[in-house]
Amino acid sequence: MSKFHAISRRTLLRGAGAALGLPWLEAMAAPAPSAGEKAIKRMAFLYMPNGTHPDFWTPEGVGRNFKLSKTLEPLAKFRDDLTIVTNTWNAGSKTGDGHYVKVSGFLTSTTITKTLGVDVNCNGVSVDQVAAQRTAGATPLASLELGTSPVTTGVDRNVGYTRVYGSHIAWAGPSRPLAREINPLYVYERLFRATRPVGEGIKRDTDLLDTVLGDANQLRGKLGKSDQLRMDEYLEIVRSLEERLKATNLPGRAAWKARYPVDSAPKPEPQPKDFADCTRLMMDMIALAFRTDTTRIATFMFGNEVTNQNFSFLPGISSGHHDISHHQSDAEKLTQYQLIGQWHIEQYAYLLSKLREIKEGETNVLDQSMILFGAGIRDGDKHDPHNLPIVVAGRAGGRLAGGHFSYAEDTPLSNLYVSMLDAFGTPVERFADSTGKLPGVLA
Amino acid sequence: MHKALLISALIAHAAHAAPEFAPIGSFLSRYCLACHTGAKPAAGYDVRKLTEASLNDQPNLWRRAFNRVSEHEMPPRNAAMPSLEARESFTAYVDHALRTKACADGISPARALSRRLNRSEYAASVRDLLNIHINAGAALPADGAGGEGFDNAAETLFLSPVHAEKYLEAARIALDYAMADPKSREVFLTATPSDKVTPADAARKILTDFLPRAFRRPIEKDEPTRYIALFNAALSRGESFDEAISYALQAVLISPNFLFRVEQPNTTGKQRQVPPFELVSRLSYFLWGSAPDAQLLRYAKEDRFADPNILAEEAIRLLRAERSREFAENFVEQWLATRELGRDIKPDAKMFPDYYESEVESGIRYEPILFVHEILSDNHSLLNLIDSDWTVMATRLQKYYNLPKTEGLRQQPRRVLLPPGSHRGGLLGMAGILAVSSVPTRTSPVLRGKWILESFLGTPPPPPAPNVPPLAKEDAARPTTVRERLTLHRQNPNCASCHAKIDPWGFALENYDSVGRWRDTDAGKPIDASGELPDGTKFNGPVELKKVLMDRRDVVIRNLTAKMLGYALGRSLTLEDHCAVDGIVAQVKKEYYSSYALIRGIVLSTPFRFQAPEPDSKPADIKPKEPSAK
Repeated sequence: MSKFHAISRRTLLRGAGAALGLPWLEAMAAPAPSAGEKAIKRMAFLYMPNGTHPDFWTPEGVGRNFKLSKTLEPLAKFRDDLTIVTNTWNAGSKTGDGHYVKVSGFLTSTTITKTLGVDVNCNGVSVDQVAAQRTAGATPLASLELGTSPVTTGVDRNVGYTRVYGSHIAWAGPSRPLAREINPLYVYERLFRATRPVGEGIKRDTDLLDTVLGDANQLRGKLGKSDQLRMDEYLEIVRSLEERLKATNLPGRAAWKARYPVDSAPKPEPQPKDFADCTRLMMDMIALAFRTDTTRIATFMFGNEVTNQNFSFLPGISSGHHDISHHQSDAEKLTQYQLIGQWHIEQYAYLLSKLREIKEGETNVLDQSMILFGAGIRDGDKHDPHNLPIVVAGRAGGRLAGGHFSYAEDTPLSNLYVSMLDAFGTPVERFADSTGKLPGVLA
Repeated sequence: MHKALLISALIAHAAHAAPEFAPIGSFLSRYCLACHTGAKPAAGYDVRKLTEASLNDQPNLWRRAFNRVSEHEMPPRNAAMPSLEARESFTAYVDHALRTKACADGISPARALSRRLNRSEYAASVRDLLNIHINAGAALPADGAGGEGFDNAAETLFLSPVHAEKYLEAARIALDYAMADPKSREVFLTATPSDKVTPADAARKILTDFLPRAFRRPIEKDEPTRYIALFNAALSRGESFDEAISYALQAVLISPNFLFRVEQPNTTGKQRQVPPFELVSRLSYFLWGSAPDAQLLRYAKEDRFADPNILAEEAIRLLRAERSREFAENFVEQWLATRELGRDIKPDAKMFPDYYESEVESGIRYEPILFVHEILSDNHSLLNLIDSDWTVMATRLQKYYNLPKTEGLRQQPRRVLLPPGSHRGGLLGMAGILAVSSVPTRTSPVLRGKWILESFLGTPPPPPAPNVPPLAKEDAARPTTVRERLTLHRQNPNCASCHAKIDPWGFALENYDSVGRWRDTDAGKPIDASGELPDGTKFNGPVELKKVLMDRRDVVIRNLTAKMLGYALGRSLTLEDHCAVDGIVAQVKKEYYSSYALIRGIVLSTPFRFQAPEPDSKPADIKPKEPSAK
């Protein structure tokens, strides 16, 4: 049985336990996709660095009758698709420093190990990777990690963290930060390669990978203990590529086919014009990945944490992002801070529009998805880890109820992740410091 | 009661100790002991174990205290806070004591450490192997940095699934280029099939020649076999000789023997010299960012590096070669943070259109790289970094700096003498440095001060206090200049003590705008470039600033040495490595700050030349082996 029925048996049973009323009926009743196409769910996590203006984020009123805040105004078209949660946080991030712990711990809900490099450890796995690991093999790529600028170099000696931590939200394991693609053209080419048809080329590649795996196994035996771990990483990534390529010839995988040819979409220029262009193109790439069904899970970082990205392409902005985030309650800076937050939401809305435009049978990709937008801090000036700005768009085929939910102060954000994993069809009992699902979020 | 007793015991202990430990003991009892004691000390950390004796035998325990206190994480914010002076005298004492202890024991090296090639090392190695002129690593993800702040640190060279795809693809593309270029082909296609040479023999010859270059060591006899098998399989599928050999070579470029710089564990039970082939890789990846050349490999084979003079001579040969530009670029851009220009740091294009003229922008970016490269490769004094009467630039940058033309200078940057009063000279007169420590639209004395403390002096300031209360509304008569705003900020006592150490450095550079051009006014007011450090040192403007830095030249050179040793080793420095740094600095001073002395000092240092034994290995049994019975 495929892992991607609209709702798996297991989810159904679990859901029934925690349910109010009969939540599964609605999911079961999700519009049937057209002949031969099962409704599939997608999940993406968009990360905004440096927090946001705290006074213009939270909507007025709770439940389904909320009024969007100024920053969230660009989401008006998607009002009914939104799940906005207030007062969640990652308890593990209230330590260490102002920024790094809040980034690498954003999707792991853990406390990262403080280090300049020797023992990089997020002490967990990020929520996207929990889902990716459970659904590996269903699509050519288990997940897609994207950003707009290369990992920030250097170590931050002021606070004692390597900047690796400020540039990664996706963690495949405690010491496995996942590298991000930052050039839209490379993403496009990667999607194209991943979906290329079965042929002689595949055997040619897998024979080659077999040979180097032989080398690696031999070499591993000669290394010291800690170096063996490095070789294990190599073995793992080469093996998984080999398995992926081989799988294209297996009968099970034959069931997968691209829902849309990658090369029917426009190919990005070799270099994006600027930051805004790059961001847009990355939104296009997420939409393309989902449309083609090359992957169902993506993470995207608008920028690396502490970025001083110049936003003067927006009217009225006169400094760098990080500088503005330390507004010290200066009215002018606060105005600019709000505008930058709103710009991020506009890009998010652009992605949502694209996903809504992609029809799948009676439904569309947005309806079947959960696209989270958030930051690891609220007010950047205070590096405030409480009441994080978090919004999810898309109803996961009816699994999410939608609305604005306000919880007790310092409710674990991991509870939202547990709810989302459930809605995605990869339920877990617990995730990091979770204490249950977020009440009301699931339909 | 229990607690009170302990405190008095600790104080009593301190009283009997050597005089200088007493303030340390009282610091601990005053700020730490309330929580970190008893049956269940906070975080399981018992401060009672911090004694003068444990400074000697439990340095890691002290290291932890040192880190937490120096990074202002302890004491916690709701507890009694030591003054900045008390904090710093505590950390200075502990740091000094730990280092003295580590150095007294003699410098011991680290264990063998393997790591993958980083993105630029990969590109350079492929380039040199195949003699191609494309960047084969362009599509690889960038690498993060660890240790001393460089992206060649073994500890942060992770592998993600995307790497496997990229390596496969990058090798294919590089070989396609190489196979199509006669100048490349003659470098690595060392045989061609003919009437007398079968395709299989030609392939064997090519691979037998290629593998030792690619793996940077001699190969075992059967090592080419697997690759020949790939060649044969391709040939029997009907592929041409070129296609088949290219296929086999592609596998070589994805093999971990190529992608990793392998160091085999030292199982001899005692410290040993780094084996010759591993040593030449250390040397060439340090100074060329690429694989060892034929001469290095030959010397390794002849085992000539037992003689340290040969090692030193080879280091200087590498340094003088064109390829050391790669080293200068990677080292300088990360040491000075100028890699962020055009990435995270982008001056505002509307305000500063001149900056974005392509020759200006690249001239600015390359000035520090070429300058440091010139110092290193031509054995100039390292003190030129602080101040110099020359720089490296082309005409367009010269014009940007508003300097008179130099006869014969064109579009190629080269060493140019600076006229008196040029406002340039040394790293601090460079637009790249001045821009990378500014915000997009204006200067920031704080960021410039921080840059000097962190990158130049190696004494980074502590992190800013969290939750700084905003300026009171009645103060809201908006200050116009940056200095006025900072003066206001410093009225807050939470901020003042640190900013008093940071800002003056930056103020001295206020005559440079945020893209490094000279100016005499800011917001219509004359520039005030004066600053005074907490110790009373006063200066006004960049010339006097450089004099103050010249007085602190040994701090500057020590920081440079530590950074460069960290880069050369590709890992975080340990306390013992810092002892090696002290030794190198002493030698560099003796040789009048010669850059060659620095390079020689690094490659001849214990951490660079030696490997510690694996912890579980014992000295080899010295009993000779019994001859085996036939």
